[in-house]
This record gives sequence, structure tokens and C-alpha cells, in this order.
Amino acid sequence: MKKALIVLEKEWLELRLQRALLFATLFLPPLITFIAILGFFVIGKFAASTIRSAGPLPPEFASLSPLEIGQAIVGRQFSTLFLLLPIFIPSVLASYAIVGEKRERTLEPVLATPIRTWELLLGKMLAALLPALVITIASATLFVGGILAFAVSNRVRDMIVTPGWILAVIVDTPLLALIGVALIVVLSSRVNDPRTAQQISAVLVVPVLGLLFGQLAGVIVLGPAVALGIAAVLAVIAAGALWFATRLFQREVILTRWR
Amino acid sequence: MAHAIETHGLTRRFDGRVAVEGLSLSVEAGTVFGFLGPNGAGKTTTVRMLAALIAPTDGDAIVAGHALGVDDTALRGSVGILTEQPGLYDRLSARQNLRYFARLYDLEPAQADAQVERYLHLLELWDRRDEPVGTFSKGMRQKLAIARALLHEPAIVFLDEPTAALDPEAARTVRDFVKGLRAEGRTIFLTTHNLPEADELCDGIGIFQRRLLRVGSPAELRAGLFGAGTIVRVVGDAARLVPVARALAFVRDARADGETLTLQLDDPDSRNPDLVDALRAAGARIRYVERLQHSLEDVYLRLVGGHS
Repeated sequence: MKKALIVLEKEWLELRLQRALLFATLFLPPLITFIAILGFFVIGKFAASTIRSAGPLPPEFASLSPLEIGQAIVGRQFSTLFLLLPIFIPSVLASYAIVGEKRERTLEPVLATPIRTWELLLGKMLAALLPALVITIASATLFVGGILAFAVSNRVRDMIVTPGWILAVIVDTPLLALIGVALIVVLSSRVNDPRTAQQISAVLVVPVLGLLFGQLAGVIVLGPAVALGIAAVLAVIAAGALWFATRLFQREVILTRWR
Repeated sequence: MAHAIETHGLTRRFDGRVAVEGLSLSVEAGTVFGFLGPNGAGKTTTVRMLAALIAPTDGDAIVAGHALGVDDTALRGSVGILTEQPGLYDRLSARQNLRYFARLYDLEPAQADAQVERYLHLLELWDRRDEPVGTFSKGMRQKLAIARALLHEPAIVFLDEPTAALDPEAARTVRDFVKGLRAEGRTIFLTTHNLPEADELCDGIGIFQRRLLRVGSPAELRAGLFGAGTIVRVVGDAARLVPVARALAFVRDARADGETLTLQLDDPDSRNPDLVDALRAAGARIRYVERLQHSLEDVYLRLVGGHS
């Protein structure tokens, strides 16, 4: 475990030296959160008569006033972003941490030290996961603060900050992030450009977008049961992805097959 | 003398292709052993097996007292390796690079800092210690990679092409450093294409092409392949002396080229006085008598050329 932390420390040291990457990954979520809160606040200041629904709304919106509908739609759309961030951030960080190391041919000297393969993999994964989770949960907390402060009614607040959404952020997002990192490890054995790994791993966004559109269409209600159900499915996928990733991330495979 | 490395029938196959076949070898502790062979001969695969980076398909080995495949993590902690590519983190400084590896080699932070400073001084990189490695020349990067292999003071050091692509001055620095390591009593396992370098540095040499073709000291390899010999430079045409030399029982071959007579003979040290007497008796006026020296390149080309 000690060596995993040494790897983690080195990864963060390298990250600090990559200003553009650091900005793109760690400063973007607070910025998006700020925009979300601003949008939510502004829509709450609009006169009710200026808001018109452009299409059919989910059934639970039926009893809301136009102003409440405006805030609820903006709030819900942005709330889904907190499920996307943990896919985006670690995929960027992990692709640089693993594919970048492969490209720079720095893995062999590391593997020649008395580090165990799982310690190296754990250090790399934690280096990508921890910032993603911290920044996502911090941004989500800020977002909740904004909703509580600027919601025009308790009904709006309760439609955005639901137990299902909170569970999804706390339970589902770490699992999504883990799957993202495992996917990068798997892709690392096949690609030499971090951007390629990021682009392919972006496929994980698709189910989250499905959840967003399902919610907006009223087909899916993200309640606690749904959030936990999704978590169960994600846990199985994450376990499989991790198993597959660790099989591929073995020193012999890396040295003799990674090109 | 104890053996630092011992292998028995070490073999590695990749998808049915044999990269290393039945390597049996002993390397004495405190010596420099040169491992020579053409590109693709399996040298790097051998080094990777001995440094416990990849497992052998067959055979066994004891390296630094550790049996291969038993506790490979401990084995890796007992050896140092300079890999084919320096593999340094370009964004990190020289000090940060070395400190990371020192910690991976189980040195405590204070000890790691002391070792980093020691090797940066030894390899004349201390003045550039806080600069990103990406700004370093090839020679500086290679020196830094050598320092990395030594931070934990390993008893055995594997150096894979340590002077490849270095300018003559940097190559000389590295060679002097290797000599210093041997003087400290370390065992060096050196793979190189640079045959004069191997001749200069190595106590023992293995010529390898998928399997070990020949092993011995440079002198033994020369004598084993070409036999011992003497060159006699005379005044006038040497051709007339060839029949005289061939008539001597201890001379196995004699050839003339201008004023030079080249002779293959048994035990030149004791037979040269008789040879000189016989030539002088035949009227030869002798300018010089020299030992016939074959280069390591001659040995290498005969062995590898005869095999490819």
C-alpha cells in the first residue's frame, strides 16, 4: 500500500506540472456548477408569463407553475452532469497516467523496482479516481447549496435534490469512475495516444445520457430504488472491468505485448 | 569465487518462437560480464528474465542469491537495471525522478535524498538537479538512468547498451563509471554491440545468439578460436623464411606478407626464443617480435558469422 501512495504522489506531482490538463479536468466542474447555479437563479427571476413549455413534460410537472417548471427543467438537466463528470475526469487523468507512461517508455524501469503490480495499478487508479470524486462531490455539494438558496419553492427543490439523485452521486458515480479507469487500462494495451483512449472511453457517457433523456421524457424516475439498482449493475460491470484490466496490466504482458 | 548469477537451461519462448534457448551460465561476483550478440539475439529477453521482469518458460536461475520465480519482488530489490530506453519522466526534474525511484526501491525519505544527492554529484548532474529532464541531452539522460539503477546500492547491475548513441566523451565517462563500480566489488552484466568497449571492460564474455555460442575471458576466446601466435618483422622479404619456420615442430602455420612473418605456434612464451634462433640461423635480420593479437571483433564475427 505504501508504494501505491508513492505512485499516487508522483502522479499528482506530474499533474501539477501539466497546467492545461489540470485546468481542463479540475477547474471545469466548479465552472459548470457555477453556470448551473447562475442559470437556475436567472430562470427564477424571470416573469412567469415569459416561460412557455416547448413540448410535453413529465407527469410530475403537471402541478407546477411555469416558473417552477423552468427551474425544475434547468436544475434536472444540470444535476445529470454530476453523473457525467466522474466519467470524464478520471478518463483524462488515467489516460495520461497509463497510456502516457507507456508512450514515454517509463513503465519498464518502474516494473524493474520491487513494486508489486497491484500497487502500481492501485496508485495509478487512485491518482485518477480521487480527484474526480472529490471534485464531483464538492461541485455537487455546491450545486445543492445553490438549489437550496435559489429555488422558488420547496417543490422545485424536492424535484431536483431527490434521495435518488443523492444516492446516484454518492454510490453510482464512484462506480462509473472506476469503470472509466478500468476501461482506460484495458485500452492502454491497444492504443498509444491518450486522446484515443479518452475518445473510446467516452462511450460510457451513452448510458448516462440515456438516463437524462429518460428522466426528461418521464420514462425513468431516478428514485432510490432505481439508483441502487443502477449501482448493483454498475458494481457487476466494474468488478468485471477491474478483473479484465488487472489481467491485462501484468508486467509480462506490458513488457512483451504493449507496443 | 562465489557466483552472482547462475542459470541452468534458461529458456524463453514467445508464441512458439524461441527467444532464448537453454542458457546455462555462471557469472562470478565482482566481475564485469559482457553479453554480446547481434540485434534480436535475445539479449534483452535474457536481461529481463534475470532481473525478474519476465518469467522463463523453462530452466532456472539464481540471481543475487534469489531463485528466479520464488520471491521476484526481493530479487528486483537486489539488482539494478539500466533498460534499453532511459525511460525518464520528462516533466520532472532529475532530483524528482531519482527520488521517486529511490522510494520505490524501499529507501526511507532521508536516505533517498542522501542517495539522490550522492549520485547526482558522482555523475556530474548536481548543477542541473532541479531542471526538467526533458531539457537534458542524451548523455545526461543516460547518466541519470544509470544513477537510477544504483540508488539502492545493488550488488548486481544489468546495463543494457549503456553507451549506445552517446558521444565519445559521454561514453568515456560511462565506461569509467562502470570501472568504478567493478572496483567497488559490484557485478556488472553488460550487453553491448561495442566490441572494443567489451574488450576494455569485461572480465568474462558470453557470445550469444538465441543460445550461448561461447563463453570465457577475452583472452581465452581469442586463444580458443585462433590459437596463439607471433608476428616477426624482418629486414627484406619474409617469404624466404616461411619454409624455415614451417620446418619447426612447434609451428602450426606460417604466412608471409612483405617484411612480416605471421606464425601460429604452440606456447609462444616458451617457444619464441627457439623461433628467433632458427630464423637468425637462416640469415634473418629481425626488427621486432610481437604477440599476434586477434581483436574481439574477429572472435565475434567468426562465431556469430558462422552461425547466421
